[in-house]
Amino acid sequence: MESPVGKKINSSGMSERKPKNIFQQGAIPATFIAESIQKHSSQTAIGGHSIFLGQVRADETENGKVKSIDFTAFEDMAQEKMHLIREDIFAKYPLTCMHVHHSLGEVQAGEICLFVFTSSAHRKAAMDACEETVERLKAELPVWGREIMENESHQWKVNK
Amino acid sequence: MQVQVMIFGQLADITGTSELILHDIPDTDTLQETLHKLYPALANTKYAIAMNKKTIQGNTILTGDTNIALLPPFSGG
Repeated sequence: MESPVGKKINSSGMSERKPKNIFQQGAIPATFIAESIQKHSSQTAIGGHSIFLGQVRADETENGKVKSIDFTAFEDMAQEKMHLIREDIFAKYPLTCMHVHHSLGEVQAGEICLFVFTSSAHRKAAMDACEETVERLKAELPVWGREIMENESHQWKVNK
Repeated sequence: MQVQVMIFGQLADITGTSELILHDIPDTDTLQETLHKLYPALANTKYAIAMNKKTIQGNTILTGDTNIALLPPFSGG
């Protein structure tokens, strides 16, 4: 039986979290983010949320202006890796919950492609956990962005 | 014994395919030699190798049917 935060306790008293699918096709709508915030109103032990939103930037490159990014992933490996990151973050910070959503497929400039949402009783844990999760998933998840230019040429995104 | 090789991102632009099946490959050094002969541009491209969804370092023996993935630098988020 799962609690609302998706956490269950096994016989040794250690928490176990089921891997969650972080990927969704296309951009992450603002309404999805709003609904996700609203869902936490019943969890009154939470005192602070931290949210990171990644937005596709219309970079000016030598090949032209970025119109959209087409994301692909080695999904199975990414899900496993994200699960490990999640376990590490929960072990390090007193979080109530964490949600991660990443786009696959084409996302237009100005649209949201990454949504990381952490919650805790007090703000610091949520803020630090959110930042660390974003940094780790950018470095460790096998996900690739192909930048599509207005002239339809393309180049592969490089994370800085 | 066969090796399934999944190819991602810009590496698939080089190979023109996202999946290959290779036979009689004893280890990952041999795998890389074979791939670089088939696709010389791969030799000049930075990538990591994952074996059964775990990134490996150095030469690794391939035993049984193995899933290999060629992973260019990540650029998610």
